[in-house]
Amino acid sequence: MNASASRPLDPVAERAIDWLVRLGSGNATAGDRTAFDAWLAADPRHQHAWRTISGLLDQPIAALKEAETRLPGQRRAARLALTAPERRKALRNSAAALLLLGLGGYALDRQQSLTALTADLRTTTGERREVRLADGSTLVLNARSAVDIEFSAQTRLLRLREGEILIHTAPDPARPLIVHTAHGQARALGTRFAVRRQDGHSELAVLEHRVQLTAVNGAQRTFDAGMSARFGPAGIEPLSDPAAARAAWADGQLDVRDRPLGEVIDALRPYKRGYLRVSPQAAGLRVFGVFPLDDPDAALLSLAETQPIAIRRYGPLLTLVEHRSENE
Amino acid sequence: MSDPTASFEQTAHALYHDHHRWLQNWLYRRIGCPHQAADLTQDTFVRVLGARDLGRLDEPRAFLTTLAQRVLFSFWRRRNLENAWLEALAQQPENHAPSAEDYALVREAIETLDRLLGGLPLRARKAFLMNRLEEMTHAEIARALGVSVATVERDVKRAFTHCYLACLDAMPQGAVNSLTAPRP
Repeated sequence: MNASASRPLDPVAERAIDWLVRLGSGNATAGDRTAFDAWLAADPRHQHAWRTISGLLDQPIAALKEAETRLPGQRRAARLALTAPERRKALRNSAAALLLLGLGGYALDRQQSLTALTADLRTTTGERREVRLADGSTLVLNARSAVDIEFSAQTRLLRLREGEILIHTAPDPARPLIVHTAHGQARALGTRFAVRRQDGHSELAVLEHRVQLTAVNGAQRTFDAGMSARFGPAGIEPLSDPAAARAAWADGQLDVRDRPLGEVIDALRPYKRGYLRVSPQAAGLRVFGVFPLDDPDAALLSLAETQPIAIRRYGPLLTLVEHRSENE
Repeated sequence: MSDPTASFEQTAHALYHDHHRWLQNWLYRRIGCPHQAADLTQDTFVRVLGARDLGRLDEPRAFLTTLAQRVLFSFWRRRNLENAWLEALAQQPENHAPSAEDYALVREAIETLDRLLGGLPLRARKAFLMNRLEEMTHAEIARALGVSVATVERDVKRAFTHCYLACLDAMPQGAVNSLTAPRP
């Protein structure tokens, strides 16, 4: 298909394409229309070329337009999907993954040693990864998380780009270990703690010792073991739920105590392929329980047993969670 | 397997019998879903049947993994495309999901467009889809993309040419000549 770009186009086909472009431009004149009709009538080859080329994309485009009438936004979503730069990047990554197939299956849930001082680590759907860093610290990445590691002579910096990490720091009084997000930074004071990055804020859960938190607005506060907090442009806000529950993901569990269902679904999403959507009515339900992260379908099933929710699936990649009253 | 007199069917059958479990397990380790691994195993054997000549297979598993890697690649490609679509859909303000029929219809349409537009630069893809799919005028597209109207025109033409040549490549030889040849 790439070779096709350099291939010469026959003149009739090229003329037909010129007409398609002109007539679809939005500023074709009555004169263009007349000239086009004359061109079309002049030769049966013109009509044949016109029909063939204008019909190339008829079927997929008609299908999308038809879907649009039932559910607005389909055409735009299709265009975004077909032009998503992330998709192209993901494609390259999967091509690279194919080259490394031998390694693929074994990287999961096994500790790796990382001797490089800088690295970009990333996990995909359903993948948790434990990495031993060059200084002896241990880093666990939750599913769908990304962190950049920048160790220098002065600091040990971890930039959390996406998702959630748990870190068990190795002591090094000369070089503080700092986890940085867009919403602020957490500086380890000899410790084990977890940081989660969300859309508008980040969250900290301290498991051992203490962490000094600085939000982007300049607010600063130190948190002891067992405490958790939210930080971002609005400052620092302590959270009431126990830190241990917030870090249970590192053991493959989701431990929630009186949290909205929407948050539970948020936590399951990185473990479920495709898209998991929860309706606003269902998202507000309060949930207690411990759920298996590595089996998100089982987690959904057990939620459906205790909550007034209905779970609908569309193909392997789209799952909807709705309040039962919405289906009546 | 090494019997030089074995027929194509016998070789294919032996290949399936001896290695399909192993292949399914190989695929399962890569994608982590037993159902999809089973589907992709079948797809791989469909490709085995499409091979013209199996000849003597000294390394049947190397042969199978070569085919399976191609199957896996198109699987990842479809899945990435589908994920990008679902993400785009999820960002829409309307809190609806497509019906099962629309889901299948739209997914197939997007895959077809992806095949036709494969290899086309990103800006030309965008301009073309905005024009043909979203029915935006060249002037509107120029504003949205921050380029001149002449650039949009060139991009749309380039995309049409690309699709046309992609279709010619996919057509059997005879059909290509018939396009502009005078008909009886």
